[in-house]
Order: sequence, then C-alpha cells, then structure tokens
Amino acid sequence: MTDAWAVETVDLKKSYGDTEALRGLDLQVPRGSLCGLLGRNGAGKTTTLKVLLGMTRPTSGAARVLGLAADNRSDSVRIRQRTGFVSEDKDLYDAMTVDEIVRFAASLYPTWRKDVEDRYRRAFELPHHRRVQELSRGTRTKLALLLALSRGAELLVLDEPTSGLDPAATEEVLQALVSHVASDEVTVLLSSHHLPHIEQVADRVVIVDGGKAVVAGPLEDLRESYRRIQLVFADAAPQPTLRASGAIRSERRGRVLTVVCRSGLDQVLAELRPLNAVAVEVMPMSLKEIFFESVNGER
Amino acid sequence: MPWQKSWLDTRWRFVIPLLVLVLNVWGLLFEYPRVAELLRTVQLQPDALSETGALGRAILESVSAERTYRGYVWYQWFRNNLSQLGTLMAVLLGSGNLLSGSTGAGTLFTLSLPRSRDAWVAARAAVGLGELLILIAIPSLEIVLVSPLIGQSYALSDAAVQVVCAFGVCAAFFSLAVLLSTIFVDTWRPFLIAGGSAVIVSLVESQLALNGPFRVMSGATYFAGGVVPWVGLTISAAIAIGLLYSAAFNLSRQDF
Amino acid sequence: MLFRLNPSSGVPVYLQLMEQVKHAVDTGALRSGDQLPGIRSLAEELVINPNTVAKAYRELEHEGVIELRHGSGAFVTAGSGRRKQTDKIRAAQEIVIGAIEKLRARGVTDDEIRRLFEAELAGLTRTGGQRD
Repeated sequence: MTDAWAVETVDLKKSYGDTEALRGLDLQVPRGSLCGLLGRNGAGKTTTLKVLLGMTRPTSGAARVLGLAADNRSDSVRIRQRTGFVSEDKDLYDAMTVDEIVRFAASLYPTWRKDVEDRYRRAFELPHHRRVQELSRGTRTKLALLLALSRGAELLVLDEPTSGLDPAATEEVLQALVSHVASDEVTVLLSSHHLPHIEQVADRVVIVDGGKAVVAGPLEDLRESYRRIQLVFADAAPQPTLRASGAIRSERRGRVLTVVCRSGLDQVLAELRPLNAVAVEVMPMSLKEIFFESVNGER
Repeated sequence: MPWQKSWLDTRWRFVIPLLVLVLNVWGLLFEYPRVAELLRTVQLQPDALSETGALGRAILESVSAERTYRGYVWYQWFRNNLSQLGTLMAVLLGSGNLLSGSTGAGTLFTLSLPRSRDAWVAARAAVGLGELLILIAIPSLEIVLVSPLIGQSYALSDAAVQVVCAFGVCAAFFSLAVLLSTIFVDTWRPFLIAGGSAVIVSLVESQLALNGPFRVMSGATYFAGGVVPWVGLTISAAIAIGLLYSAAFNLSRQDF
Repeated sequence: MLFRLNPSSGVPVYLQLMEQVKHAVDTGALRSGDQLPGIRSLAEELVINPNTVAKAYRELEHEGVIELRHGSGAFVTAGSGRRKQTDKIRAAQEIVIGAIEKLRARGVTDDEIRRLFEAELAGLTRTGGQRD
C-alpha cells in the first residue's frame, strides 16, 4: 500500500448480520483526482464511504485514507482532520442556524479557510440566521458542502452531493468541486447515481455492484476502450461464441448482431470478420451504457 | 468544540430547572415562620407512629426535624425537594443521544468531525455534571444568603457538605442516563428507565428502611451527627465513573 | 468564450473542445496572439474536469494551434498555427474536408460519417461481404 493513493481499499468486506454489504471491494483513488463512485441503490457505495470515515467498522479487509488506517481509532481522527464529508441525507444539526453551525464547525478545524467560507456563503446565498431545518433541500446541500469545503481538507468524500437538486444548484455544486480540484490539489470521491454529472466532471470512475468494484479506471480510458459493434447481415444474424476476452456480451435480433466490447477491440473484430456482415458500425459508448453493461439486473 | 455542542443541547434543561429550584427555595424559606408556629401546636406519639411503617416513620422524622430551622431546611429541602428534583434533573441532563443534535438529526455530521467518540462522551459528562453541580449548589447557597431575611441563619459549611452528598449520588444517576443514551437512540427511554430505576430504588429504600443511596444523598448522617457518609459517596463516585466508561466503550463499538 | 460541450455524446470531451477551439480560430473568433482562458477558469466555466481541459490544450499545442507559455497561459499561435503541421497532414486534412463536404451534400449526417470512418478504419467493410 502506498501513499500515492488518497483512498485505497483492499478486499474490503462488511456484513450486517446476514446481509453482505461489501464482498471484497478493491478501490484506488489517486491524489488530485475527481473520482465518481457509481452503483445502484444498495450496491455498497454509502457503506464504503462510511468505512472510510470511521463510522462503520469493516468485517475484514483493509481501508486506508491519506495513508492512514481507517479502522484505527486514532488514525481515524487524523483522517477526519484532513477530510470533508457530506452524508447522503445531508445530516446536520437541524436546530442550529446557518451561522451557528458554521462557527461550530470552524472551531474544530485549525485549517479552516475563512476565505473559502466567505466565497461560498456569497455564492450559495446562504441565509445567516435561518435554522438548518427550515432550509430547502438544495440550500441544505449547499450548506453541507460549504462546511466540507471550508475545512481546508485534502480529501472530500461526498455521498450523492447532487441528489434532489435542481439543474442550477447542481451546476453550482459541480462547479465548486471542479474549482477545488483545480486549485487546491484536493482529491474528491463522490458517489452518485446521476451518470451525466459524473461524466461531466470526473476523471476517474469506479462502478460498484453487489459489494464489489466491477469497473474501475480513468474515465477517458473507459470511453476509449468500450465499443458497441453492430453488424447487419443479409439473412438471419449468427450467434457466434466469441472467445476474445474483451467481448462481454453479444445479442442477436433478426438480421442484426450487436457485440459489446470492453477491451481488445482488434481481437474481437478479428473474430467477427469471417462472419461476412453486410454493414458494420463501431460506436463509442456513453457512461450510461457502460454502466448498464457492468451491473446486473434489469435495464 | 464538543463541549459547546453539549451545552447547546442541554442549556434549556439547565436554565429552566435552575429557575424552578431557586423559586422553590424562596417559597420554602418564606413559609418557615408559619410552619414553625403550626408545629408548636403538634404533639406526637413516637412509638405508635413507628409501628405504622414507612409513612409513620416519615411523619415522625419530619416533625421532629422541623422543630428547628436547620432541621426544617434539611428535611424540606435536602431530604425531600432537592433529592427528588436533583435526581430528576440528573437523569434529564444525562438523557439524549450523545451524537445527534437536539432534534435527533446530525449523528453522521458529528461522526465526521475530527474528534474521537470518547471525546463526545467526555463532553457530555463534563458539561452535564457541571450543570448538575450548579443546579444543586446555587439553590443551596441561596438558603445561606436568604435565611437572614427571615431572621434565621444557615451555616455555609452545612450547605457545602449537603451539596457534596447530593451531587455525589445524583452523579451516579446522571451516568446511568448517559449509558442508557448510548443504547437507545431517543431521549425518552433513557430518561424513563433511569428515572424509573431511581424511583424503584427510593421506594425500596424507604419501605425497608435501608441505608441506601437516597439516605446518602440527603446527608442524613451528617445532619443527625455530623458524620459525612464517605463510604456511600465513594461507592457512588465509583459507580458513576464505571457507568461513564461503559457508555464510552459501548459507543466505540457501534456502527452507524 | 462560448464553448458548448456534450459530455454524454460519446465523443471525448477533450476532442470536442479541441474542435471548437480550432473552429474559433478558423472563423476568426480567436486570432493569432489571443489568449485562451486558463485551464482552471475554463474548467470552472464549462464545469468539466480540469484534466480534460489540460489534455485538450496539450493536444492543441502538439498540433501547433496554440502555444503554452510557461507561467503566462495559452495563446493562439501566429498564422493560426497550421503552418507548423507537416504538408502531409495538411494535404490529408484537405482530402478529409472534401470528402466530408461531399458526403454532407448527399445528405449523410455527421454521426453517420463518423461511423463510416470508424468502421472503415476497423477494416470490416472490405471482408468480402456484399456491398452496394
């Protein structure tokens, strides 16, 4: 395990009684990247993030954040000194006012950045004396984000930061994240099921399904290696058994054969060439398509 | 800082009872002249009374004590009002989720802050016990200051010892509420269970005439013979500390 | 700077950005010596990952469209930069431009054109199949 990773987990497992939330998750997030953690509900995203923050103890396996052990009590305090967190429910003290909770948070971080706090107070238009429980969902999310961003943290761990936000608020939130990654050498790990948002700002993606990481890597690499190949035949399309390891699925409908290829396009094409298709198209795949090919269940 | 959160969570539970207790003392003291006059007309049959059980014993104790001002203060305030209200306040101050805010939300926010879980227990203990001590000490001090206004006097040394006795035992009930607060997520169950336990202990103690925590709390041996109940207080302190450690241990093992 | 990007279109974002910068240079919206926005501010403005902007800028510099002056920023090169490309690339570009114009004139959409090129490059359409 090296310190080049801002976050690293090795074979992370977590069971709650009979339920296995994580079944051996391997995750690496390099420093300075903006990494999207994707997966359906219940795939294990929130559990993973909670393990990283020391809120939940793993059943087995290792988790390291900024080089420190996430399941060690004193290391975990040190991790939290350098990490900003936003929970899925944007959990905050409802009875405090905006001012009170900001001052409370500021008192706990010697690295608190007043300039960042001021910037986002203005940009997010947060009302000083309104109680947290009276804020709209979007404003509450922005407040949670301000508290995380102003900590002067090296790592931001955000659970669904854009869920429930209108397009304008979403754009503001994403813009804040992009700005921080660019200027402050911050690493961002955010979980989401809004694929377009991730596609827009992430440079790295991890897809979690059934408690494991099924896809991981730089987003550009994924987009360059996933291809959908569509072959049209004069008569009924064949259903070949493809041996190339990069072909993950093939589907035949009438005269059209579709092959989804995850890597090694050339080998797959080499196997398809002898089939003598009438027309062939090789198309790139969006993150949404890549996601659906990677997780089990209904489309 | 963590203590700020504990203070914000419990301040109303502290300020309002403080006002209530201060007013209660005031009322008690200004009633003394009438009580004293009434008692002069009362004659008792001690033997017959002792045989009627707990209630009889209580009446006997009350009348014989209240023939003097010092006894009146001891019986009405330290033995009755403060013991009951003090225990109630202790349990109230100790109840309530240690990690969430006053509305019950914010647990994950607290856990994301750079403090160990022990720190949150320590903050609740420090602030709660501080508030408890003030709640017990200020009304008791008030007696010393206000007594001259009704032409009486109450020794500061007496008040000080009584405060120590009351605080020592109430602290144990406080700690019980804190431990229960790490087991139950809501505020009500720790309060009711700890409060209920206190009621049961007090009933058993009075029915069976035992030398139990409430007797130590009221400083009965000190009032009667100037003997400070050190053994009882030490046991109480040990229990309080043990319960707080258990609370911290329990909290550290939980998943959120 | 008005760039419009579509992260979900399947075309890599950095390529879209490169095309739009080059288009801006061609139409004169960007002239020689003009300064492009910094990587960070462009990423913020477009709300995309800064690495994507950085990659686009690097590739544009490689193609000679812009130059990155250390410490000052990104500037459009003199003579719109095409002079730095080799003759071969320039000639190839002219062939591509001509082909695309012809295809568009026949009503072939840009997406279809792209797919045809990709398929051809993948070497599939000449596998002895029946073609019209």
